[in-house]
Amino acid sequence: MSSPSQTEIRHIRPYVHYNCSCPDVNISLESENEETFNIDSPRIQFSTFSISKLYFCNDCHQIRCPRCVQEEIVSYYCPNCLFEVPTASVKSERNRCARNCFQCPICQNTLSVLPSSEPQPPPSPISPTTVPVPTVSATGAPYYLSCGVCRWDSQEIGMTFEKATGLALQLQRTEDERPDVKEFDHLKDHFEKHMRLNTPSTALPSSLLSIPGMSSFSNRYGGMVSNNQQKSDDIVPYEAVAKVEIESGLVDDLVQLKDVNQITTLTQRINQLSDQPYKVERLQPQRIHLRTKRVKRCRSCRHILIKPEQKAQSTKFKIKLVALNNIPKISIASLPKLILNQRTQIVLKFSNPLDEEISVDLTTQEETNECGKVDILAPHFNITPYDGLWEYEEPDLIASKSRTAPNSIGIYERRGDSTSIIVEITPLSEVEEFRFPLLVTYTCKNNENDGAVTEEKTLDETSSLKATGGDSTADESTRTLSFWTVIGLGPVIKPPSGVSGTLVSGPRSEPSGSKGVTSRGSSGNSNRK
Amino acid sequence: MEPPIVYYPRSEYIETDTGNKVSRKSVICGSQNIILGGKTIIQTECVIRGDLRRTGGGHAVVVAIGRYCLLARGSIIRPPYKTYKGIFSYYPMKIGDHVTIGEGSIVEAATIGSFVHIGKNCVIGRFAIIKDCCRIEDNTVIPPNTVVPSFSIYEGSPGVFVDELPECVQDLYESKTKDYYAKFQPKD
Repeated sequence: MSSPSQTEIRHIRPYVHYNCSCPDVNISLESENEETFNIDSPRIQFSTFSISKLYFCNDCHQIRCPRCVQEEIVSYYCPNCLFEVPTASVKSERNRCARNCFQCPICQNTLSVLPSSEPQPPPSPISPTTVPVPTVSATGAPYYLSCGVCRWDSQEIGMTFEKATGLALQLQRTEDERPDVKEFDHLKDHFEKHMRLNTPSTALPSSLLSIPGMSSFSNRYGGMVSNNQQKSDDIVPYEAVAKVEIESGLVDDLVQLKDVNQITTLTQRINQLSDQPYKVERLQPQRIHLRTKRVKRCRSCRHILIKPEQKAQSTKFKIKLVALNNIPKISIASLPKLILNQRTQIVLKFSNPLDEEISVDLTTQEETNECGKVDILAPHFNITPYDGLWEYEEPDLIASKSRTAPNSIGIYERRGDSTSIIVEITPLSEVEEFRFPLLVTYTCKNNENDGAVTEEKTLDETSSLKATGGDSTADESTRTLSFWTVIGLGPVIKPPSGVSGTLVSGPRSEPSGSKGVTSRGSSGNSNRK
Repeated sequence: MEPPIVYYPRSEYIETDTGNKVSRKSVICGSQNIILGGKTIIQTECVIRGDLRRTGGGHAVVVAIGRYCLLARGSIIRPPYKTYKGIFSYYPMKIGDHVTIGEGSIVEAATIGSFVHIGKNCVIGRFAIIKDCCRIEDNTVIPPNTVVPSFSIYEGSPGVFVDELPECVQDLYESKTKDYYAKFQPKD
């Protein structure tokens, strides 16, 4: 429900998205990479990201996106009590918190444990359930679960607890009684003997055996074929123990249903996967799902890009190779309204996160851009490195210090670790979103990895020149990387007085023009695919 | 998109020694119970209820706000309250560094960590705990007693987990709040 509006907002707001060439994902389309970067391709939505979502592999010297990293789980924790669950017990606790954390069956919010001795406000009349609440003291047990949002409480379904702690353990019994849990345990018992016999003594560590199908894989290729083939035939046919009986009156009840609020919603049913009840009174509080912390690795070289600290509460990372700290950050510093057929100057700000001065080259695609004309006035410029001292100095001083006097053409401003350049835009068609591609190539001096680079160079001097895309080790002290970006500048509007609108015949009543693609709809639509 | 420079009338804001900028048109109750970490901006029509403090004598910090925070126009900070063992009492609230609270949001949380973004028109319920590096989208209602774990995006009413934040969100929010402070400039 919320996602379409979110994406819409993202489209309207100006953005700079970086393209990740995803070497592993795009193997078959390798040739398409650099020369024919097409911003109208439908894949562009899935291969461009904002810089905050990207990683940077120091070994491959390439940008890595969420699609081309591999994730490994470091730790499990409960998002509510932030208890770190040992990996060994995650399975037996069925990936849910085994302490006191429950989510409301009605509104999926966290429930709190309340003693029934404490005087409670009378149950709200707008309570979504129609079940009469039993009197508090009648049930005897002193604790119950209560939802702070919808006022549901577990006394409605007759669920109370003797102790305020370890509620999940107290519920464990009812959970184990569930037919699906029983059936699964039975299945596991049935096949476990067979699995144990088939487990090869040599091939795989036990951790891998928990992966379904892994043992049969190792059987096939582990060289123990003849023996096990025979054994696997010995398996007894499985018979289900749990019988799921269909409630007799349910269909009739549903047929006669007048008010849709009398039955559970889809979300409520999906949250209780075991039986997915239609009757509201059969909904049960669910234990909260665990969350994970994950290591992220580069798919190409398997080096770790992200390694969080194991503790659930910690927000620090042992390894954090994000693009934000490694490649120039581009932001739109000034953006006047884009008016059809009118030359507009926008300012792009490039920031240098590195310790070295970098030089940047910009190119764009002239011929493929249907939206309009893009002129980069300063296609080549330098950015001074970031200096920690600036944080302690007056901003005016920094400006005067780093704003070098020769004000070359197209450079709007040099300030600290950033350079702002002017790009001239002439929109030629009225589109919902003016976008243009920009190929950014930057070169920086590479002193920290000097040894590594020279070594690599001696190893395969010739092949490394072309092999890694934009990475060229021609000069051992510099490093070059190029990547495509897509810059979206929001809607192009018609000139207010209609002076220069040569072809415009659409409705003039809509000055924003973003939705009114009537006469020129064909070109606008083709751009948005 | 780079945020534009925001100008404010010089006469409206009080700037403290540590660089806090507090609007004269805001309502700050019980200012002796409020701590601002420095370089925090409190904009027009904000309300901070430092007077709602624990019953009993003695000096107590009611609202502690860290550095580089932004309380945008019309936001309300109110310490949480509950009746415990029959005694009604307010409890202190702590807000970390680099926290942005959007326009018209009402905050009654127990703790808000550092590097947190709260959107416009949100309601943060009583005794909610928002950990470091979180984002609450516009118009979200966080129910009382909710824990929002780190690197989460919460949205909706009632607010639920919708997405994870990227790992570099700390740097992102830090530079954003510093940038906003640098660009919040007086004009006569």
